Amino acid sequence: MNKSERFFRRYIFSTVRIILLFLFLNILLALSFVAISYLGNVKSSKFPIEDFSGHITENGGRFNADEQAEEMLNSAGAWAMILDENGRTVWEMNMPEELPHRYSTTDVAMFSRWYLDGYPVNIWSRQDSLLVVGFPRGEITNYYISVRAWYVRPIAFGFFAAVCMNVLLVLYLFIRNARQVKKAMEPILNGIRCLSAGKPVHLEETGELAEINAGLNKAGDYLLKKDNTRAEWIRGISHDIRTPLSMILGYASEIEETSSLPEDVRRQAGIIRRQSEKLKNLVADLNLTTKLEYSMQPVQKQTLDAVELARQAVSEVLNDGLPDKYELELSEADPGKAVSITGDQALLSRMLCNLIRNCAVHNPGGCRIQVSVGSRDTACTFSVADNGYGISEPRLTALNSDKDIGSTQKQAGETEHGLGLKIARQIVKVHQGKIRFSNTVPHGLTVEIIVPVETY
Amino acid sequence: MNDRKILVVDDEIELLEMVKAIFTRAGFTRVLTAASGRAALRICREQEPDMMILDVMMPGMDGFATLKELRKTSKIPVLMLTARGEAEDKFAGFENGADDYLLKPFLPKELLFRVQAILRRAYPEKERRVFFDAAAVDLDKAAVQRDRETISLTAKELQLFEKLYENQGRIVTTGALCQAICGDFWQGYESTLATHIRHLREKIEENPSKPTALVTIKGIGYRLIIKGVQT
Repeated sequence: MNKSERFFRRYIFSTVRIILLFLFLNILLALSFVAISYLGNVKSSKFPIEDFSGHITENGGRFNADEQAEEMLNSAGAWAMILDENGRTVWEMNMPEELPHRYSTTDVAMFSRWYLDGYPVNIWSRQDSLLVVGFPRGEITNYYISVRAWYVRPIAFGFFAAVCMNVLLVLYLFIRNARQVKKAMEPILNGIRCLSAGKPVHLEETGELAEINAGLNKAGDYLLKKDNTRAEWIRGISHDIRTPLSMILGYASEIEETSSLPEDVRRQAGIIRRQSEKLKNLVADLNLTTKLEYSMQPVQKQTLDAVELARQAVSEVLNDGLPDKYELELSEADPGKAVSITGDQALLSRMLCNLIRNCAVHNPGGCRIQVSVGSRDTACTFSVADNGYGISEPRLTALNSDKDIGSTQKQAGETEHGLGLKIARQIVKVHQGKIRFSNTVPHGLTVEIIVPVETY
Repeated sequence: MNDRKILVVDDEIELLEMVKAIFTRAGFTRVLTAASGRAALRICREQEPDMMILDVMMPGMDGFATLKELRKTSKIPVLMLTARGEAEDKFAGFENGADDYLLKPFLPKELLFRVQAILRRAYPEKERRVFFDAAAVDLDKAAVQRDRETISLTAKELQLFEKLYENQGRIVTTGALCQAICGDFWQGYESTLATHIRHLREKIEENPSKPTALVTIKGIGYRLIIKGVQT
């Protein structure tokens, strides 16, 4: 499962959690409402008609309300009356004047359920009479529900089913939405991933997220342009430096080889010449590493003899003049066995030359350099080992990790393996191979390159 | 070889002077210079040089255009000397008829070596004799002169010797030598090469088991060390 899938899964889970939380909170609220009303808070908002009735006493057909009854009525802003069996008002208190004093059975039936002339009323059945308490108009709303008895259970079930259906529907919609968002987001996330890996991005600029896609495309183009500008810049600089460097090299060599000049001058010219050669190699390395980094170097793969490739690299270094303090040897793991690989001859040869020269550059006191070629199953192994200073363990770990070998600056007290190794790694990458750095026993550096025999 | 007329073309006057100095020091006596494509073509018509070293980037007529124009009338070898290192530029140079391509900055000895190799190929010297301690090889007659005795070289031995002689003093890899005598599909010919080398040594070395002229570079190839050349 990749990161975006994990993100969407987490999103759906959080949605489910939110719904559950809502349900739980609602149930909790309902329960607490019931509990509160049971404890009497709601009850007090209702007129205590039974209690009120108890405060009205009958004495031989005459009704008497005590002070408490009157107070109860006043505090509720209500009025009250008692009807006898014939619907006549036999007692009243605070009763509005417009109300009649006689009511038919129909009237009683109507107001017991609804309103009496707009006044909401409560009724209480007394012995042989009916107590009616009326409240101010608009204070209470009466609503009656009447269903068939057998219908109650299906209604309860229906209610429960509806709640469940709603929850499921909400869940389904959430998941569908999440999927749609995921579908829309995935190319964008991939685009961002490509951008972070430095690969070119092109997204379709359609749909609701077209603007974001366009933005990403723009960012990709910008990065590409910036990369290209940088590569062009490096190319430009290295181009402009070539002719002046040729002249420095040429004239320094001339001075060095003019026997009529004082020995000191010739020695100094030799130093200029050697340093210029270093610059020349650096310019070439810089140019190549830039081209490889931005895939501007066309790779021309062909079938090559691995041993001959190593021979050419070694002979090139020897022909260019390797001081006697270095001992350079080539060995074959299986002498006489032909090892064919598919690769770019110029690049692979350059890589081996770089590695061999690296050994010399970093062991100025001289060392033995052993180049060997071998093959195992479907892979060909080149190894360049020296018995020089070697490199520190942390640096070795850094070289073996995928971290960029970026700088050519020396870290305090450390022998630096700079662009040469970076280029070697880039060339190995182009050939889908592996590069491994290790320490030579008892001391020195060993670089092993494993290239698949078929790299098409 | 040193009397060959070389024309160096570059718009940088200081570079022209430098290249001229390199060739003069190496013994070349007739080095001509031109600072533009048009001037180069004019000198070519008037003085007929044997070889041209041509810069690519020049104001007005650039190196490629100059080469194209030159090829209409002349077949002299041309080495392109340029600051442009792109593969396409190299291809463009070869397509227009360049013989070699050297990228700036260059080492003087590399320029010299390449020019000498081109000249050797383009103008094979008549009656060339290559001298060793024990013998002298006459390349044109494919024969070895030894103690007033003449031993002939086989065709393969001659090919082998010429390849080594072209690169005298430098290591030539086993593969390159096999290729010189067997063509592109040389794999598996290493033992044949060893036989030819042994025969060649028997003809030119004082002591074939301790060679001083045709030296083995273990695991890599061979190197030919000569005493001198007579043309």
